[in-house]
Amino acid sequence: MRISESLRTGTLEIFHHKMRSFLTFFAISIGVISIMYSLTMIYSMNFRTKKALEVVGYGRMQVQTKQSYQETTTMDKKEARDNLSLEDAQALHTNFPELPMVSPLMFSGGEFTYGDFHDWNRVAGITTEWKKRGWVYKVRGRFLNQHDIDTYARVCVIIQNGGWFKKPQWMKFYGWKDDFQEYIKHHDLLGRTVKLGDNLYTVVGILEEPPLEKNPKTFLDLEGWEAKILIPITTLQRLMGGSWGWAEPGSIESIQIDTGRAVTVPVYRRRIEKLLQARHGGRLRLDVKDFGEIIKTKMADKHRDMYTVLIIGAIAILAGGIGIMNVTLATIYSRIKEIGIRRAIGATRGDIMAQFIIEAMLLGFFGGIAGILISMTGIQYLAANGDTDMMMVQWWMPLVSVVAAVLTGFIASLYPAYQASKLDPVEALRYE
Amino acid sequence: MIKCENLQKTYPLKKLHGYQALKGLDLSIEAGEFAAITGPSGCGKSTLLNIIGFLDNPSAGHYLFRGRNVSSFSDSERSGLRLSEVGFIFQSFNLLPRFTALDNVRLPMLYLGEGSAETEERALALLARVGLKGKETHTPLELSGGERQRVGVARALANNPKLLLADEPTGNLDSGTGIEVMQLLTQLNREGLTVIMVTHDMNLAGKASRIIRMKDGAIES
Repeated sequence: MRISESLRTGTLEIFHHKMRSFLTFFAISIGVISIMYSLTMIYSMNFRTKKALEVVGYGRMQVQTKQSYQETTTMDKKEARDNLSLEDAQALHTNFPELPMVSPLMFSGGEFTYGDFHDWNRVAGITTEWKKRGWVYKVRGRFLNQHDIDTYARVCVIIQNGGWFKKPQWMKFYGWKDDFQEYIKHHDLLGRTVKLGDNLYTVVGILEEPPLEKNPKTFLDLEGWEAKILIPITTLQRLMGGSWGWAEPGSIESIQIDTGRAVTVPVYRRRIEKLLQARHGGRLRLDVKDFGEIIKTKMADKHRDMYTVLIIGAIAILAGGIGIMNVTLATIYSRIKEIGIRRAIGATRGDIMAQFIIEAMLLGFFGGIAGILISMTGIQYLAANGDTDMMMVQWWMPLVSVVAAVLTGFIASLYPAYQASKLDPVEALRYE
Repeated sequence: MIKCENLQKTYPLKKLHGYQALKGLDLSIEAGEFAAITGPSGCGKSTLLNIIGFLDNPSAGHYLFRGRNVSSFSDSERSGLRLSEVGFIFQSFNLLPRFTALDNVRLPMLYLGEGSAETEERALALLARVGLKGKETHTPLELSGGERQRVGVARALANNPKLLLADEPTGNLDSGTGIEVMQLLTQLNREGLTVIMVTHDMNLAGKASRIIRMKDGAIES
C-alpha cells in the first residue's frame, strides 16, 4: 500500500477515537515540552559559557596565597608565610613582558557616605591593568590612570549596574534591592567628593555596565560579589588596609594573569610559580587557579539541574511511549476482525505492521505538534517575563522535539504491530 | 484450475492428537465451473474453502493451483495469491465498518500498490456493476444486508480474480435478496469466472453447475 493511503487511513483512525488519541497526545506533549525546555536550557548554558570565556579570554589564571585558615593541619596554620606583594606583580610584568595582562588586586570594605546616604560597600584596589579584564563598560569621566596609582591619589571609579530590560520574575519575587545601585542611578556622582571609610575621594569616572541581559558577566558569575567601587591599589594599601584591615602591610590579595591562549596556561603556571617562589625564598603558599577550572566548577551546578530536567523529559516521553504502546495493543485487540479482513483480501504481514506503525507515528507526530504549540507559548511567556535562558530558543529545537515524538511512536509500536502481523488470518476472521 | 490430492488438515488440540478436519480429500475443479460445496456443519467445508483460498495451508497432501503446487507457499506468497488470484465473499460480509463502500472496494487495489485516481475509477465502475450506483459514499452501517453483500462482491472483484470463493454468501440475507445475490454470482460465472460456493441451502446449490457433497472431512459425491 502506498504511504499516502496509509497516512490517510491512520489519520482516519486517530480521528475516530478522539478520547484515546487525546490522552496519547497529552502524554506525548508533556514529553515534548520537557524536551524543549531542556534543549533550550542546554543551549543557553553552552552559549553563555562560550560568551563568558570570550569576554574573560581563554588564557586566564589567578594567583593567590593560601590563607592560614585554609590550611588543614595546625602546623601549616601556624607556619610563617609570605604574602604576595605589588612588587611581585611588577616582577611578573618585567620577567614576562609578553603576558597580555598582569593585574594585581586587593579588596577591602568601608562605609560609603554622600550627603545623607550611607551604605557599606566593597572596595577593590586595582591598577590600570584591570581594564584588560573583560571590559564591557561604557565610561563617563575617566578611568584610573598610572598617575593615580603612583601618587596614591584619593580618587575612585564607580560601576553602575546596567539594569534589566525586563526584570526576571524571581527578582521581583525576592524583592531584593541594591540600595547603593538605586542611589547612584538617581544621583549623578561624577566629579563629586564622597567619603569612603575615613577618607574623602573624588569620583573621577562612572563605568556603565550594559543591560544585564546583554552582559555576559550576568550569566557567569566568575568573580563572586563584585566590588562596585574601584580605587588605586596603592591608595587602598595605605588608607584602608587590604582584606578588611587584616592583611599584612604591603601585601595584595591576588594577581590575575592573562596568558593569551588556553594552551599557554600550564606553561606559565609553572614559570610564574617558580619565579614567585624564588622571590620569596619558598615561603609562599600559592593557590593558582586557571579560569577554565573555575568555570567548570561554576557550571557543574547548572549541569546537575539540566540533567534533572532532561531525565524528567525522558521519563515523560517514555510514559508517552508506553501510552502509545498500550493504545496500539488495545487497538489491535479491538481490531482483530479488521486485521483478519485485511489479511483475507491480500494484505501481507508487512502491510499490517506498516499500518499500525504509521498510525502510532502519526499519534506521536500530532502529539509532538501539540507539545510544540504549548511549549512555544510557555517559552514565549517566560522569555517575555525576563527568563534569559528561554530567550535562547532556536528554530531547530521544535524540529528535534517532533522527531523525538515520532521516533517514540515508531519504537513503541514495533512490538504491538509485530503481534498484529502474527495473527492467523483464519482465526482473526472468525473473531467476533 | 484446482487440483487437490490427498488433502489433509489437522488442527492441534491440547493433549489429544488433534482434530482432523480434512481426511485425505481429492478434488479437481476446472476453470469456468460453478461449484457448490454442501454438507452438514463441521464436515470441513470452510476448512477446504480456506485452503483453496490460500488462507490456510494443508497439513498434508498437495494443492495445485493453475498447475503450481502452492501447499508449501510462504505467508507472503499466499498473501500475493489472495490479493490477485482470488476474491472472497463472506457470510457476514466482513466490510470495514468505518470505510465507505467505495473505500472498501478500493482496499484490495491499494494493497496491490495502485494509485488513488485509477482505483477510484475502477471501484466506481464495480459498484455500478453490482447495482450500487449512488451509494458509493455510504458506510456499511448505512446499507441494507443485500447492499452490503453487493459491496462484498464488488470488493472480491477488485483485482480481476480468476477465482471467486463464497462462504454462505446468502446466509445472512432474506430469501429475496439472497436470490438477487445468487443471480449476480451466476452472471459472473457466465462471464467466465470460476465460482466456488459453500452453502447449506440445497435450493441455492441447485443453481450451481456442480454440487460437491462433503461428510466428515471427505467428499461423499
